Amino acid sequence: MREFEVVSPRARLMRILLGGWAVFIYVFLFAPIVLLVLFSFNANQYGTFPFTGWTGHWYGQVFSDYQIKDALMTTLRIAFEVTLIATVVGTAAAFPLVRAQLRFRSAIRIGMTLPIMIPGLLIGVSLLVLLTSVFHFTLSEQTAVIGQAVFCTPFVVLLVAARLQGFDPSLERAASDLGAGTYRRLRYVVLPLLMPAIFAGVLFAFTLSLDEFIITLFLIGAHNTLPIYIYTQVKFGITPEVNALASLLLAASLCLIALAFLLPLAIRRARRLVVRA
Amino acid sequence: MPESATTAPAAEVRGRSRSRRGSSLAQYAGFLPALVLFGVFFLLPLGLIVAYSFWETVDYNVVHHWTLGNYRYFFSVPTYVTRTWVTLWVAIVATAATIGAAFPFVYWLVRYVRRGALQRLLLVLVILPFWTSYLLRVYSWLNILGDQGAINRFLQWTHITHHPLTFFLYDRPAVILVLVYLYFPFAVLTLYASLERFDWDQFKAAMDLGATPRVAITRILLPQIRPGITTAVIFVFIPILGEYLAPQLVGGARAVMIGNLIVNFFSGAQYTRGAAAALLIAVLIVVLLVVFRRSLEVEDAYRA
Repeated sequence: MREFEVVSPRARLMRILLGGWAVFIYVFLFAPIVLLVLFSFNANQYGTFPFTGWTGHWYGQVFSDYQIKDALMTTLRIAFEVTLIATVVGTAAAFPLVRAQLRFRSAIRIGMTLPIMIPGLLIGVSLLVLLTSVFHFTLSEQTAVIGQAVFCTPFVVLLVAARLQGFDPSLERAASDLGAGTYRRLRYVVLPLLMPAIFAGVLFAFTLSLDEFIITLFLIGAHNTLPIYIYTQVKFGITPEVNALASLLLAASLCLIALAFLLPLAIRRARRLVVRA
Repeated sequence: MPESATTAPAAEVRGRSRSRRGSSLAQYAGFLPALVLFGVFFLLPLGLIVAYSFWETVDYNVVHHWTLGNYRYFFSVPTYVTRTWVTLWVAIVATAATIGAAFPFVYWLVRYVRRGALQRLLLVLVILPFWTSYLLRVYSWLNILGDQGAINRFLQWTHITHHPLTFFLYDRPAVILVLVYLYFPFAVLTLYASLERFDWDQFKAAMDLGATPRVAITRILLPQIRPGITTAVIFVFIPILGEYLAPQLVGGARAVMIGNLIVNFFSGAQYTRGAAAALLIAVLIVVLLVVFRRSLEVEDAYRA
């Protein structure tokens, strides 16, 4: 394929240097996370070096802390609502974005992705002003849901739109030639084909909501989500208990994202088997 | 927005089986929920911020009286002006460092790793941290850099020093390091999307014709992936402009950025002054997006 450069020793050196850089990058990216998890199992009560022995004690504390339990329930309730809104709104918007005649398609696309691109801080403060000063809402879980939905929906739009783009229009034409109406085309042809992308969207939205910090900070009022709880604790210094909670949150996000990457592949593979059989 | 586009150019219509899509208005129906969500809870509040920034606060009440006072105030306080320059400086340095670190990595990934499952896996590994909590990614560095952090604890434990060193933390280098860490996946994604498409045969041809690797990179590779580089720069630069948490947790007084000022204004109920500061960032972002709109590859950035 591209073996031509290996012949010269200089190219080999380049290759080794770049490879070394790549190793360094992976260490840089994962060292903080690995250390965080390591410290959560450290018996040392300051949550850092030296490593004085393994313990699961801090995890026990996390699970028995009622404040954390409370924050977890709030986080999950918000995440469910946000995921529902983001999935429905995002999927609906993906259709016209890909299929309708749009004069400013790329502008609309950029507009839809704007909530991801602009700093969450701006979304947070501007919604704070609108919801409290204009609508006179009291800050609550619901106001946090609104803010997070604005941030999470674009991800679903992008995922579903990407799948729609690669969608063979003749399948739909075939369905309507066989007499399927709009509803049945959607129900039996379009949605099943979009399912992998929608699933991925659900998982991404859920994870993003679980981890969202800055918008929530402005809109949640007196309540706590897990990231907000961690933030309030960090102000008093690092504790092994926070490390343990952080590790759990990290593990949850990583599992969900792994699922988001793998599930669409699995669905496609399973379908292929069914089709072949 | 979409409703205004009822007459599309002929080229758009051609090749699309339009007749089966129902009436021309129904095709936009899917936008409706998004229009409500983004219209009421994204565009309206941003518009409100614009208005607020030109209104006055009198005795903690916002008065609808148009004035440039908030901006005049912002630029009359030397600290705020300094903070604006610090923000720009940090954003530029951090963006340069992020792209500088990401480019050799992506070059290695695309050129030396066989395309396929392994390359995908290595790419996903880089992006993985991006999908974990933003707060935790900053917090994890506090664990390492802090005066009670891993580095200091380690140094004291091994008796290299006896007092915690504070220069690891609470200054701009720490903020820049954390920002590079936060936005590295962004840069990798966009650069990968454009490098992956690059036709390496052209590269080979240039070398066969006697070009050195450096000439081949600067004359053949870089001009073709310039849109990807622009996108990466913009995508890293923009979020850093509004950064709040990194300077808050690892920055200290010398690294306070506009984001922190905005939060201070709003938590001090100085809504109109906060709005003016927020609008400064927003305007800068809009200018960047408009200037570079042609070379932005938004889809690429989120494809993976």
